[in-house]
Amino acid sequence: MARTGFCDSKPLLDLHMKERRLSAQTTEGVIMGFHEDNRMGSAADECVAAPPALLYPHSLQGLPSLQTLVPSLLRHEVETALEKLSLIWDRPYAWDMFLDMMRTQTQTPLSNADLPHYFTNAARAILVDWIIQVHELMQFQEETLYLAIHLLNRSLRQLKVSTANLQLLGMVCLFIAAKKEESLLPEVSGLCSLMDHAYAKHQLLRMERKVLCTLKFDLSHCPALHFLLIFASVARCSAMVVWMARYLLELSLLEGQCVVFLPVQLAGAALCLARRVLQEPPTPEGEAAWCLASSIHVGSETALLRIMQILASAAAEAHETCATFIKFSSPETMHVSRHPGLKNTVALLGVCS
Amino acid sequence: MAHCTSLQYEPVAEIGGGAYGTVYKARDTESGKFVALKNVRVQTDQNGLPVSTVREVALLRRLEQFDHPNLVRLMDVCATQRSDQETKVTLVFEHVDQDLKTYLDRAPAPGLSPDRVKDLMRQLLCGLAFLHSNHVMHRDLKPENILVTSQGQVKLADFGLAKIYSCHMALTPVVVTLWYRPPEVLLQSTYATPVDIWSTGCIFAEMFRRKPLFCGESEMDQLGKIFEVIGLPPEEEWPAGVTVTRKNFAPVKSRPITDFVPEINEQGAKLLLQMLTFDPLKRISALNALDHPYFHDEETSTLTNSSSQAVEKCSRK
Repeated sequence: MARTGFCDSKPLLDLHMKERRLSAQTTEGVIMGFHEDNRMGSAADECVAAPPALLYPHSLQGLPSLQTLVPSLLRHEVETALEKLSLIWDRPYAWDMFLDMMRTQTQTPLSNADLPHYFTNAARAILVDWIIQVHELMQFQEETLYLAIHLLNRSLRQLKVSTANLQLLGMVCLFIAAKKEESLLPEVSGLCSLMDHAYAKHQLLRMERKVLCTLKFDLSHCPALHFLLIFASVARCSAMVVWMARYLLELSLLEGQCVVFLPVQLAGAALCLARRVLQEPPTPEGEAAWCLASSIHVGSETALLRIMQILASAAAEAHETCATFIKFSSPETMHVSRHPGLKNTVALLGVCS
Repeated sequence: MAHCTSLQYEPVAEIGGGAYGTVYKARDTESGKFVALKNVRVQTDQNGLPVSTVREVALLRRLEQFDHPNLVRLMDVCATQRSDQETKVTLVFEHVDQDLKTYLDRAPAPGLSPDRVKDLMRQLLCGLAFLHSNHVMHRDLKPENILVTSQGQVKLADFGLAKIYSCHMALTPVVVTLWYRPPEVLLQSTYATPVDIWSTGCIFAEMFRRKPLFCGESEMDQLGKIFEVIGLPPEEEWPAGVTVTRKNFAPVKSRPITDFVPEINEQGAKLLLQMLTFDPLKRISALNALDHPYFHDEETSTLTNSSSQAVEKCSRK
């Protein structure tokens, strides 16, 4: 059976037993006990897919609240994460907003990874790498980059662009993303000079109209990065794990095969892989929090594993000329891209297909 | 697709001047259906489409994804260059034949039944609550841009356009009706989503009266007519920093709202007064209005009436 890398079942089941003994006493204690219990239960469910009857002791069966506690705990944790990350202003709307994020990401799906025949994945990677460099140079927000690549992915499939104009298309996607997300905008003339004046200003503006019309001004996008930060916060991941996951997630932008996956899946896979690579010693609290966070991914284990494989080989092959590699080799990002563990990650994932 | 206006949509007729430019009825040659084309001319500089236009249109598209039953569908958008300084943004909306104005005009003699009014109001408030919860103000709500389908479904139109227009529209002298404007707009004070509730109150009254409630001819006249009904507000409610002072108006007392809207029931009258509250901060919100006892009777009375249920109820329609 394909293991998904969510957690190791053995210590968790042990933990499950230990926690259960604690549940009882006061009303509050009982509720807390159920939280813990159920958290373990759902985690164990994912890991070993054992029949629920084996996991829930008979004494606890038939308590209706048990089934509802995991969602409510998850909800509470997600709301807290959104608040901590300043992604919301009003806590009462937090859960609605999260549900909306989950729904929005499925609105503009790309059904396949096929590119127009004249455009290869290698060429796409070069273009994305260049966009990442320009993005870095402009000191834009991270969200702008994720939106720009999202717009590029959709434009490439809906718009007829000659090979000569691909760079222009990439720049325009970044420019439109900046108009949506940034408070300070670069001048069009500045953008043209970044392209060695290969295109005139009016060509860039014409491409802007063309892209906006083709996409019908649909610019809403839920960046995978937001999901990553939410999950990392729920799962109490260390700073190192988060930076590693962010590095891997940014590498996913360069991979043409990744465009068919949902942002929530890309974020989940990047975090899973980051944990695998770093192999931090597990703590009971950390494992429990991780299992709660990963309960969001129940049912998409296959997709996650596939993404992890793609990202593992991307990370193993990333070299010093890659903009993302350079960006994440800095001290501020804890030098994650230089981590030796990345070189043998593919082997780490085992022989699963 | 990039040439959506010229090829895909054949203009059929001009359907109204509109405050912000001409609106055309057109036929979508792909689906055969009728659409309403609204052109917005925006000033552009060397940096292309203004940020505000990009964001506002993107917001409209975002709202579209929710497929709200009480908002008119935005089917397509495109931008075409007119000159170096001007770009035309064409918004393609679904076309609904009838607006609330004609619907009221066409209603046979005693007017709409109280239940019909209640249903229309509930739908109108649902659309509005949805817009407000997404930080969108309508700002120009009036019977002409509230559409009513042949099945009696209410659909708000022209929402969110005020912002797109006002920021970058190529100026044209337009006369905008004052009749649905709240006091804070007439006084040029700050305003927010409560503006739409005021307009909704005016429209609520009009559904019973079949003629507008306040027909002012100028800003001052409009304010005077409002105070004749709700009374001159106390000094402490008068907004700070506005040029028009309270002393300009006669110290009139409020009169029973039923003098002006005799057909309205007791709960309806209470709700109407909460909508026509001078102080925007004290005015009822769309969500709370849906939870008002006015909407509680008949089939809904068996449910515990929470606003979310009310929203759910009407969004299922």
